[in-house]
Amino acid sequence: MSWMRLTGYADKFGVHPGDKIKFYVNCDGPGKFDAQLVKMIHGDTNPRGPGVIEHDLDASFNGTHNGQKQTIHSGSYGFVEDKKQFRVDSFTIQCWVWPTTPKTHPKYWKHGAQGLVTKWHQDTGYGIFINEDGCAELRINGEKITTGAPIRDHAWHFLAASYDAQTGEAILYHEPQVVYALDPVIPPVSKKVSGPIKHDGSPVVIAGYTGEHSNDPTAKSSVPSGIVINGHYNGKIDSPRICDRALSRADIETMKQGAQRGLTERRNAGPTGELSKCIVAAWDFSDGINTIVGKDHGPYVFDAQIVNCPTRALTGHNFTGHNFDWKHAPQEYGAIHFHDDDVDDARWEVSFDWDVPEGYESDNYCVKVTTSEGDEDYIPFWVVPRVGEEQSKIAVMIPTISYMAYANEHLANNAGGAELLVYRVPIMQHQNMFLAEHREYGGSIYDTHTDGSGLCLSSRLRPILSIRPQYDHFLMQAPWQYPADLHLIYWLNQMGYKYDIITDEDVNYDGLARIENYNVIITGSHPEHNSGPQLDALHDYTQRGGRLMYMGADAWYWVHSFHPAYDHLGRGIVTEMRRCESGIRTWRADPGEYYHQSTGELGGMWRYRGRYLHSVAGTGMSSEGFDISSYYSRTPESNDPRVAWAFEGIEYDEKLGNFGLVGGGAAGTELDIVDTMLGSPPHTLIVATSAGRHTEGYLLVMEDFGFNQQGLDGTQHPRVRSDIAYHETPNGGACFAFSSIAFCGSLPWNNGDNNISKLVGNVLDRFSQDGPLPDAPEDSVIHRGRADYDPPMNKQRK
Amino acid sequence: MIRIPPEGSNERGRLIAEHKACIESMHGVPGCTILRCATPGDTTDVSGGIHEDHLLNRVLLRMRAQPAKGKLLVICTKVEKEWRIGRASGIRGVPPEFVNDKIYDNEQDPQHDIFLMRLDEFSENDGYPEHYHEGWKRRDDGWAAT
Repeated sequence: MSWMRLTGYADKFGVHPGDKIKFYVNCDGPGKFDAQLVKMIHGDTNPRGPGVIEHDLDASFNGTHNGQKQTIHSGSYGFVEDKKQFRVDSFTIQCWVWPTTPKTHPKYWKHGAQGLVTKWHQDTGYGIFINEDGCAELRINGEKITTGAPIRDHAWHFLAASYDAQTGEAILYHEPQVVYALDPVIPPVSKKVSGPIKHDGSPVVIAGYTGEHSNDPTAKSSVPSGIVINGHYNGKIDSPRICDRALSRADIETMKQGAQRGLTERRNAGPTGELSKCIVAAWDFSDGINTIVGKDHGPYVFDAQIVNCPTRALTGHNFTGHNFDWKHAPQEYGAIHFHDDDVDDARWEVSFDWDVPEGYESDNYCVKVTTSEGDEDYIPFWVVPRVGEEQSKIAVMIPTISYMAYANEHLANNAGGAELLVYRVPIMQHQNMFLAEHREYGGSIYDTHTDGSGLCLSSRLRPILSIRPQYDHFLMQAPWQYPADLHLIYWLNQMGYKYDIITDEDVNYDGLARIENYNVIITGSHPEHNSGPQLDALHDYTQRGGRLMYMGADAWYWVHSFHPAYDHLGRGIVTEMRRCESGIRTWRADPGEYYHQSTGELGGMWRYRGRYLHSVAGTGMSSEGFDISSYYSRTPESNDPRVAWAFEGIEYDEKLGNFGLVGGGAAGTELDIVDTMLGSPPHTLIVATSAGRHTEGYLLVMEDFGFNQQGLDGTQHPRVRSDIAYHETPNGGACFAFSSIAFCGSLPWNNGDNNISKLVGNVLDRFSQDGPLPDAPEDSVIHRGRADYDPPMNKQRK
Repeated sequence: MIRIPPEGSNERGRLIAEHKACIESMHGVPGCTILRCATPGDTTDVSGGIHEDHLLNRVLLRMRAQPAKGKLLVICTKVEKEWRIGRASGIRGVPPEFVNDKIYDNEQDPQHDIFLMRLDEFSENDGYPEHYHEGWKRRDDGWAAT
């Protein structure tokens, strides 16, 4: 049974009017499929809400298309195309490895031998492998030589293999870096092998081997096209070398130093000139960490093309523990961690494209693809006006980096701890079931790779089945991210607001220019993942009179950067994030691996970069829980003339948002509070709070306490709450923070006729006005402390 | 370590009745917890369940912490219409399999049936020295790594 036979993606998230957008569809069912452009208004199937709302629109691609099966060739590796120097008679191969899955379950999705350094294809060629039993193995044509000693996982080993064509002697060395007291000795194994080594046009592959040369249409998306790589290796490889003669063990030791070209009396760190003559390739992965090239420092400069973006900037076999930033000690970061489920680009054939007409309305769109047999998928995209051609005074900033962070997540199925998080049994949808089988679609930054290591890179050039309407996420049994943000889009349409759409990457690349022409920026429900340039732009905006409506919670949390090696394919293709010293972490980065390979910047939480979450829009994350949601009560500060306008038409004692499509209330899932010690401006007003109303499933974030303790849950801890907050910014700007991911889920309730809708409408009406907001009352301009909040004392100081 | 009440015990009967009452009150909520809604389907006022029954709370925590391999979960087979119970393989690339043919017409009721299945599947007690096995050294100790 196939849970999804129709999947697709576009080459852009945001497309400008007048530009072309391409669509890629895999149709693994009938021979034809239909495509229809729709404006996406509401994607929540909950019968207590307005239901799915989409409007068919004219487009040149509407209609029937020929379908074709398209495959993602996931799994990262490096390769160098066939060269005569690789067609050796004798050889020595050597490298360091830190394997993560040397032995896999027979049902594991890529069970079998793993290639390390190979020029081998169907019993032709040579290479070193980890065989199906988890042992080092040398292959020469069809001959296999193994130590028979299982390689310890998550540990460094030095492997080397040589073959002397004249004597026919092949030797395989396996030398663990750390040897424990009761480890058996692993002696080198040797065997006579009758040559010669056969060669074909297969490339040299690092972390895999050539599976087949194929004319099948699905092989076109492999790299190199038509050559399908198999035997993907899980783990680190450091300092691979190929020499064209059988080296002695002593020479192998010298060769660990790699190629040192241009030997002189003052430059003599490597092998002798005589020994160096045998070097075919000596790769140094510490060179070019922010690239997708594996640099060869040997004489022929056989730089390897690195496919599917494995993880770099990771500690190598020689990490000393004295430097923790790869930029300061690159020679200790010569390892690449390859994964069999890495994917940087599906590289599918274009199914159809569309020239977006000039002046086309900025909004949320999808291509809805269907078949006559009931298959269905949606490919979301957004039409974004060019800078200077804005269509509205209101912009909705779609949190596309956060969408990428959550892309194709597998937690419900793979992470046993997911149930501890949500306090009930997770529910999987058909998208999750499809992904559980089709690991080649890659995972999210919340997942661990198929080898169990943290996943820190996510590409948007693949079908992302979590960015779909009609998709309930296990975290809430309700929409999350994209479909949850459609709650807001529905409400804007229902209330008759005209708005533009911009995306995270637009703000990242265009900076302040992207947002300064809008009177108000509205965020999505959960803009958790952000780049530095984006936050800089938002800061500049609010400081210069811009208005920010922060519609969710747990925002501005993780440091992201876009990988520069993919810039030629468009904006924001691959995003990177590392889960470092604290924060809500579904995996944890290892020591020395906190710095991004993309930009070299320190990853982790913005909080630990000195950019408190609360400084962006006034509130920051304090707790999370995913069972059910609650509601708000107004505080006396809501009557302050600075903000009382927001509550016109709302009684003081009303329960605010005790209804909704996410958890059943406006205050739920992840919750933000005001904290002036963590960046909330000292003049911030808390106008409503959900204090005291959350379940035991809600827990204080771990970065807010220093030692384990009882009493951290919603039934006990006072910081487990959501604060709706307001503060003014200079030059007539302001921020309104609604501080709950579930908040937008209350907007569509009763077709938008409810007190949450009223509150948000009051704020949007004021914030979208032209010109600066009215000045705050004169008596509100007073000195205020951060921890010190005693009003009489502060007034005396004035 | 908390004890899972054995079959036929009064404690087990009490836990099952409270769990069922909570789940039934959650029908219609876009979310779910083991608490009773004062008004069914409305989370404005909740009580009972894990907030008041200490044993139910602890038993559920132990069940939730189970590692992924063999873990029961819910699979939506028709959006907003049909749900079934499945079991995770614990092997990457091998999707969960249905455990039976029972089809539910709402997303909450499978929670209760899974609770009943786990009561039968879990050992009454675990985690004492006499239960030691080598997996304790390798994080295979019945509590998922988080």
